[in-house]
Formats: sequence, structure tokens, C-alpha cells
Amino acid sequence: MQTETDTKTKIKNYIIESTFDDVEKIKDATLIFEEGILDSMGLLFLIEFLQEEFNLTTSDEELVVENFQSINSIIAFIESKM
Amino acid sequence: MTTTRKPFSKDILHIENIDIVCNEIISKLKTDIAKTLQRRGAVIGISGGIDSSVCMALSAKAFGPNKVTAIMLPEQDSSDDSRMLAEKLAAKFEITDTIVEDITKALDGFGCYQRRDDAIGRVITNFDPTIDKAKIEIKQDAASNLPPAFSVTVIKPNGEVISKLLPVKEYLQIVASTNFKQRSRMSMLYYHAERLHYAVIGTPNKHEVEQGFFVKHGDGGADVMPIGHLYKTQVYQLARYLGVPQEIIDRTPTTDTYTAEQTQEDFFYQMPFEQMDLIWYGWENEYPANEVAKVMGRTPQYIENIYKNFERKRKTTEYLRMRPIF
Repeated sequence: MQTETDTKTKIKNYIIESTFDDVEKIKDATLIFEEGILDSMGLLFLIEFLQEEFNLTTSDEELVVENFQSINSIIAFIESKM
Repeated sequence: MTTTRKPFSKDILHIENIDIVCNEIISKLKTDIAKTLQRRGAVIGISGGIDSSVCMALSAKAFGPNKVTAIMLPEQDSSDDSRMLAEKLAAKFEITDTIVEDITKALDGFGCYQRRDDAIGRVITNFDPTIDKAKIEIKQDAASNLPPAFSVTVIKPNGEVISKLLPVKEYLQIVASTNFKQRSRMSMLYYHAERLHYAVIGTPNKHEVEQGFFVKHGDGGADVMPIGHLYKTQVYQLARYLGVPQEIIDRTPTTDTYTAEQTQEDFFYQMPFEQMDLIWYGWENEYPANEVAKVMGRTPQYIENIYKNFERKRKTTEYLRMRPIF
């Protein structure tokens, strides 16, 4: 079974690999869009990653800042869909 | 010394001396084309939209109607009235060298329609491109703190509307396919420009240039952009002053790219032009959000969020405005 820590690590690794950012820059509560770590294309690729990695489908209505603003928010969003 | 600036108001973008502004643009166009680019006239693609109409009117006044070639570049998805309006416009400014170049076959050769429809069909499986209409649009509020994501909307002949959030691969394929349209138009404009030793007039306005609402090497490929510094409401002001036909002024700006009716607001801007112009001006000139909010009848938080949206758009589209790096 996948733990919250595993999920967090996967998401963090994904963001680091796709942005080439330093690992220290991205904390669990870092506002990844507000701070310009991911842009609009980054959001679309993130949605694709969530689909492929966690089989999680995102609807129009779920595209709100509360679900995606940080790694913590994404974890909460994934858990709410499980 | 302290400089005072105008308090923010709804009239702040109104051009007081429209005749002077027009004459300055016309004079600069002459210098740009004749002296800097060393060309003998101008080629312009006209669509029946407000931006190309104003650029054509300015070009006709700058070089004289016999030194301007107006080219209509329709394809199978273009709206029927685009051509009628473009012809009316050319007649109004006495441009006799008008050419119609239907680019449908070229686009078909590139696989533009097939590639686009394949991508739509992967998302909406019962999409039938022979009878259904389709478009892509942003459904989120412009004041959202999350970047926008596109949805594809299919309209069935019976009026049924099916809309789904676009996965990234399909989104990119649809955009890359439809961008053949602007790039094919650019190629055709340069064919005529080189044939005549003319320059190509680009029609993007300030928002299109700065928010990245243009196709790199497509409608962004031109020699001069005479209205690239003007807000959309100022383009309308010029249109009225220059005598652009009223039907063109009254027409809702569309992308004229997808088979379903698609306004520029739905597709990209997420708010009406009048509002966008003013908030953009406020953002660009660093007016505090609360001062803009009062005038616009919005909350300061809303304006702050729009400021962030603008900042994000300008940053993420920087690539479109960049020259090749070497």
C-alpha cells in the first residue's frame, strides 16, 4: 500500500524533475504556482502525471487553487478522491 | 522633483488628440517601411476583424491605396461574413489590389484538420467532424489563482453540448495543428511581399503582443506592427476616427480558427476588453489594487488576482516574443 510519504515523495520528485529546480526550494507548503515554479503548462502536465501515476481524473470543477497550490494541497486532493 | 500622475479612472485610456496619434503612426509607418526596411509598399492580411481593419486603414493613409495589397486568407472554417466585410473594407479605403488566397488545400496538405480532429476525437469519442462543431475554451475565472486550463467543447447538430477538460497531449496537438493556419497565412503574405518588394504589416494589438495571444512565426511573423502598442479600446477609437465600416466595429472579436463560434474572451482573455484594458493599464503602471478596485467596482483582492494573472501570462509567453538564442 502506498503511504502519504510515498505519494509526497513521488510528487516532489516529479516537480523537481520537470522544473530542474533545487530540492531545497520546494517544501511541502511552497506555493508552486504563486512562486512561479510551475506555469500553466506545468499545471496540465501535473494533471497528466496524477492521472498516470495515481489514476486520478480531474474535472473542470476540481481545477481550483485549493487542490493544487502546494504539495500538501495535492496530497489532500488525492486523498479526497480515494 | 515629484511627478504626479493621473488618478485612475475609466477614461484614462481615452486618446485626447486622436488626429495627432494617427498621424504619428502613419508617419512612423512611412519611415519604417521606406527608410528602415527599404521596401516600396505594404502587404496586409485582412480578416474583417477590427485590428487588421485599422492596420489597413493606417497603411492606406501612409502609402496611398495603390501601394497596399490586401490579402484575404480564408480556409474551410472561416466564417462566411469575414470575406464580405474584408471586401467592404478594401473598397472603403480604395484599395484595388485585393487578392483572395484560400489556404484550405495547403492546410489539408499539412494535415491540420485531421491532426486537430484526431486529438478532439480522443477526448470526445463520439465527435464527428463532418457534422459537429468544436472549439477550445477556458472555463475558469480570470481571478483564480491557478493558471488556466483549456476544455474542448463539441456542439452536436441537435444543439447538444459536450465539454471536457483537455489532457495535455491533446491540448498541445490541437494548438499545434491549428497553428498551421496562422503560419500558412504568414507564408502566403511573405510570398506576395517578396513578389512586390513590399513589407508585411502585422496586426496584433498590445494585448496580443504582451499576453502572447499570437502564433510564433504565424501572425507574430511580420515586419512592422503599427498597433502593437495600443490597447483594444484605443484600437476601436482609431477605427471610428479612420472610418472603418460600422459592421466591423460592431462585430464581436473572434478567433475565426475553430468550427464553433469562439470569442477571444472565451478562448484566451477571460474578461471583456473594456475591463481588461483598464486593469492591464493599472497593473502596468503600478496603480495600487485598491485604487483600481474602487473605479472598477471590484474588490482589491479581485484586482490583485487579475494582476497576478497578467504577470503569469506575460511570463509564460515570453518564449513567443524571444528571438532565437545564440
